[in-house]
Amino acid sequence: MLPLEGLRIVDLTVWFQGPIATRLLADFGAEVIHVERPQGGDPARGVRTIRAVPVGDWNQYFLVNNRNKKSVAVDLNQEEGQAIVHRLVQESDAFVTNLAPEHLRRWKVDYDHLRAINPRLVYGMATGYGRFAPTQRPAFDLTVQALTGVMARLGEPGEPPIYLGMGSGDAMGGLLLAGGVMMALLARRHLGRGQLVEVSLYGAQLYLGAPTLQAYLSTGDDRLRRQRSRKEPVNPLNNVFASADRWLVLCLPNEDAAWCALCETLDRPELAADQRFATARSREENSRLLTELLDDIIASRPAEHWLSRWRERGFPCAPVNTLADLAADPQAWANGYLMRAYCPEIDQEVDVPGMALTLSRTPGQIRHLGPELGQDTEQVLVEVLGYSWDDVIRFKDKGVIL
Amino acid sequence: MGQALQGVTVVELVDGFWASLGTTFMADFGAQVVKVVPGGSPVGGLVKAHRDVPPEHVRFLYQLVGRNKLSAALDISAEEGQELLRRLAAAADVFVSDWSRRDLQALGLDYESLRARREDVVYVTASGFGQDGPDADLPNLDELAAARTGLMPILPQPGQPPVYAGHGQIYGSGLLLLGTSIALWHRERTGEGQWVDVSLLAAGIYGATLDVQAYLAMRSERFLRPISRYDAGNPMSGTYYMTSDGRWLTLTMPDTDRYWPRLAPLVGLDPADPRFDSHEKRCEVNRLELIRLLEEAFRGATADHWKRAMEEHDLSGDIIEDYSYPANDRFARQNGYILSLSHPVMGQLDLLGFPIYMSETPAALDRLAPCSGQHTAQALRSLLGLSEEEVVGLQQKGILRV
Repeated sequence: MLPLEGLRIVDLTVWFQGPIATRLLADFGAEVIHVERPQGGDPARGVRTIRAVPVGDWNQYFLVNNRNKKSVAVDLNQEEGQAIVHRLVQESDAFVTNLAPEHLRRWKVDYDHLRAINPRLVYGMATGYGRFAPTQRPAFDLTVQALTGVMARLGEPGEPPIYLGMGSGDAMGGLLLAGGVMMALLARRHLGRGQLVEVSLYGAQLYLGAPTLQAYLSTGDDRLRRQRSRKEPVNPLNNVFASADRWLVLCLPNEDAAWCALCETLDRPELAADQRFATARSREENSRLLTELLDDIIASRPAEHWLSRWRERGFPCAPVNTLADLAADPQAWANGYLMRAYCPEIDQEVDVPGMALTLSRTPGQIRHLGPELGQDTEQVLVEVLGYSWDDVIRFKDKGVIL
Repeated sequence: MGQALQGVTVVELVDGFWASLGTTFMADFGAQVVKVVPGGSPVGGLVKAHRDVPPEHVRFLYQLVGRNKLSAALDISAEEGQELLRRLAAAADVFVSDWSRRDLQALGLDYESLRARREDVVYVTASGFGQDGPDADLPNLDELAAARTGLMPILPQPGQPPVYAGHGQIYGSGLLLLGTSIALWHRERTGEGQWVDVSLLAAGIYGATLDVQAYLAMRSERFLRPISRYDAGNPMSGTYYMTSDGRWLTLTMPDTDRYWPRLAPLVGLDPADPRFDSHEKRCEVNRLELIRLLEEAFRGATADHWKRAMEEHDLSGDIIEDYSYPANDRFARQNGYILSLSHPVMGQLDLLGFPIYMSETPAALDRLAPCSGQHTAQALRSLLGLSEEEVVGLQQKGILRV
């Protein structure tokens, strides 16, 4: 049994931030109906390349982010199309969108319109900058991330700042929106009505830097907002190091016992007695010197040498993996973080990200990958909304539905 | 009006920042969260934060992840204290912990034991690597998980060290909110509790999902190594250009046909320049030439100039700001993303606020982060029905700190 069975969600979203919010709920059984324009549908269907690599025979960008959903193709520029969506909203628990407010108003699917139609509706909205915004420009993940400060503190001094990864902000915004929609559904039980839930890319992404941003807000410590070389870490025993063949992560506390133990594994026990590194404070003050010293030692041997020694001593450490390593990581497969799913476009099973949440009694499932454009239009109109087949034919003739 | 999670009691046994932040999101929306602090823990039980945050700043992070919570301090080295902890956990709707499963088992707080006391408990673990698989017992450290997601090597420019950004764990905080909400929804409908696990590895993979799913589908080497900013697939999107004052401009204009006519004149080019008069020429044939020209043009004026130009011409691009931008951004405050408060000890304090807006049951700051043990007596009386004498007796035996 899936925990969200029986919840119906109208999904008027495009690209990633909106679609991932509803997908998180669809994975746990919500009936998510992706409403798309008849001409081409969600523009994510049109993605042709990623990192300048052709997407090939199946467009995972759309098909994975919209898995477990239905697709209904309706032309919202026509009044009859709007009426169909209004009727769908009457029969639904939630409506989720990341379209611009002017489109929502023009198509009569803004919050005020829809709550008049269904006061129990939870209206989830993903925006760029929040309810109060400095600009009306369309918001993209990277351009908003640029404002939060999380990028500017990363990278070696003088190098470009670091983007946290493709869709990294959308993923946070969509996740919090899904959480907000669930809380609003829980609240509806005692409130008796729905409400507006809004999450912005900006607000969500401020949290991606939460520990350092909060420390900066509290102290104004400039070191927290500027690029900091990896050669000058707060704690020199907690860093990335290049071994002879690959990069490693080592996470030791800046404590004397850990330092002594590390010196032993490096076959340099005499360093433990070196006055420049004898205390936590002196190791921090001499962090560049110490890091350069560690770099020299660690670069002299391959990763396996260090990892086996460090693991023997119980040091938290790991090789820095690539996406290819992840694709073969037994831990990710054992926990369902990666899964296989059937892909009709190429008639074979494919590897996809699985469930980020493990629920023991009601685990999430991939029932199917993303729908074909409009594949569920007739079923939803007839079975859910009670339109007749004559209505359906009339709508088709007028191009109201696909 | 009430709050979304009113009536939900959460007992947490949590040391780390990310799991604490997950329950802070619950507390912000009205859940009664009791943070159990084992006797003698520093700053209210928060011991792990982020490697770039100097230890002396950790108390400020506690202001964020302790807010709206109650603090109960128990000496759990004594059997009597352990039994109180088990009783508190069984009195809650939700028990959350980021302790290892070995430690939880030793305390009689593994899922099966707690379920024997409270059949419908929502049992939430914030783990490092999930509950299955060969590495389920690795320590709960974000860097170890980040090293496995495959993003660290591809975030920087070629030749630069891999980057630990520290954002992976924050998806974990959001997933704790979502997973708990879904489990509560299921429990309200069926009366069944369950075990929810969120791991750092799951969170990291979720946050990197667009890169992960693209690699899984396309298996291109281009996803395994950093891509130079001089080799961007689209010179106008996802790119960085330095300005005359040494700051960085970033552009997100995936649909170049739409933006080129407005961008070209700003950088001194003719929109009809035959080298760049189609998307294909801009992004394939003459891509590198365009990157070179944009690089030169953007170096010709200051960051402020370009920021204004982007806004005036309705172009999606912005300057990469540092934390001083959100710290001084009135919109961040208007939206409630940053709160200003007056703390009795710390004085004026800015705190990260509420990334989720709910119109009818908004988040609220009801109380500041408590002192360790501030609510021990209150929690024992209200959750366990202990009398005043029993509390005093336990206090005299040193089991409680009140």
